[in-house]
Amino acid sequence: MDEFFGALRVGTDLVPVAHVAESVARFGDRYVGRVYTAHEVSCCRGTPSVVAAGLAARFAAKEATIKVLRPVGHQPDWRSIEVRRDPAGWCALHLTDEAARMAREQGISDLAVSITHEAGMAAAVVVAVCDSAGGDHDDSDNRHSGGDDHGDSAGDKER
Amino acid sequence: METEIRAILAEHARLPVEMSSLDDEADLYQAGMTSHASVSVMLALEDSFDIEFPEGMLRKSTFESVSAISAALTSLVGAPAE
Repeated sequence: MDEFFGALRVGTDLVPVAHVAESVARFGDRYVGRVYTAHEVSCCRGTPSVVAAGLAARFAAKEATIKVLRPVGHQPDWRSIEVRRDPAGWCALHLTDEAARMAREQGISDLAVSITHEAGMAAAVVVAVCDSAGGDHDDSDNRHSGGDDHGDSAGDKER
Repeated sequence: METEIRAILAEHARLPVEMSSLDDEADLYQAGMTSHASVSVMLALEDSFDIEFPEGMLRKSTFESVSAISAALTSLVGAPAE
């Protein structure tokens, strides 16, 4: 711990899978396209219930990320917060555009995410590490490490 | 316009209270509307009023009350007819 001088932020969110399933059924591609990236959609394939569970977990991750970004007024585009799944199964956050700018401005040097879904609910936890100096770090690609996902939204076990 | 907004909120905002119990200035998030529900509200408003919310209006404050939604729609579709 001696080398660690940053501050931590934690965000969490819980989303009923049925709510996402209803939005998909009601609004279809308009809903999916306004909220999720192509990569996220590609990771959520299968039966409608499996797709909804995967999307719900990703929405929870986006909202949990917003909680650690602490936007004032303007909220970043949902698609500027992307949950990327490594082929090995673990997930990481990739921020672009306004979300990436907010992270830079607040000195967030690293983010970790864990997503899960079970019994009709999807959840995510995001942990952010903030530089003690704040807002002045080299993180040009804005990729951040991931955590566990005990869901099976894409047929493969995600970790 | 407010009547249509209230109907959309009643269907999509998933509020734990009746819309009739909330005045036009009531904070919908405080009343229990989640971020995910606000996405459905936004899409239903777009369908109903044949508009698309630009990115600059995709902020919590746009959807925080009936009055705020009405003001946003008025800016997009013009003032309602007398």
